[in-house]
Amino acid sequence: MAETATPELLPGTIQEQADDAKSQLEPGYAVICWNDPVNYMEYVTHVFRQVFGWPRKKAEFHMLQVHKQGKSILVRESLEKAEHYVHQLQKHSLHATMERDQ
Amino acid sequence: MKLIRTGKGQLRFQLTPREKELLLNVLQLYPRIPSGYQPLSQSTGREEANQCLLDEALAETRLQNQKELRMLLSDSQRLRQQEGQWQLTLAPVDVGWLLQVLNDIRIGSWIHLGSPATPLKALNAQTAPDLWAMEMAGSFQMRFLELLEG
Repeated sequence: MAETATPELLPGTIQEQADDAKSQLEPGYAVICWNDPVNYMEYVTHVFRQVFGWPRKKAEFHMLQVHKQGKSILVRESLEKAEHYVHQLQKHSLHATMERDQ
Repeated sequence: MKLIRTGKGQLRFQLTPREKELLLNVLQLYPRIPSGYQPLSQSTGREEANQCLLDEALAETRLQNQKELRMLLSDSQRLRQQEGQWQLTLAPVDVGWLLQVLNDIRIGSWIHLGSPATPLKALNAQTAPDLWAMEMAGSFQMRFLELLEG
C-alpha cells in the first residue's frame, strides 16, 4: 500500500470477535485483502468502511494489518456472500480474493 | 478544490477552471484496469466459472460507470459555472463512486507502467502520460477524501 498518513491505531488494539467465532460458523470462505504498493491507505480505509459498514477504527485496524502483514482476513462468509464482498472490493480496485476456510 | 456546501443530501465542490479541466481530462481516461486483471482466488484451477462471472460483473460495472460518467460530465445541474468558478454537486454515494473511478484510473495507469514496486524515477515520453494520469487521479482522490473526512 502506498505510504500516506499513519492512523493512530496500531494492529493488535482491537479484539477480533470474528476470529473467536470462526469455529461456530459453517465451513465457508475467507475474504482476504492483500497488500499492494499502490492503493492509498486512506482509500483502503474508506473502502472497508463503505463495503462492510465498519467504524473507522475497525477499518483502520484491517488496513494496517494489510499494510504491515501483507494481508488481512476481513470476513468469513458463505460462498455467495464471500463472492459478493470480493466483487465489491475489486470494484474499488483493491487486491481481494476469497479462499476456502480451512 | 473546496467543499463549499453540504445539505439536502448533496455535497457541492468548487473547482477553479484549471482544476475542472484537469479533472475532466483525467476522468476521460476511465476505465484503465485491464479486464481479467483481478483473480477471484489465489488458488489456481478452482472456481473457473466463478472467475468468469466475476470478470463479467466487473466489466458490466465498468460499462455502467462509463455511462454514468458521461451523464455526470454533461449534466449542467451537477457541473456548472458560477462567477468564474465551477461547481460540482454530488450526492455522497456519487462521491464514493467517483473515488472508485479515480482509483481505477490510478491503478490502471500503474499497471500500464509495469506495476512498479517503488515510484518510477525515469520520466520519459513513454512513461509520462501514465505517470501524469496516476498522479493526477491520486491527487483528486486524496482531495475528495480529505474533504469528505473534514
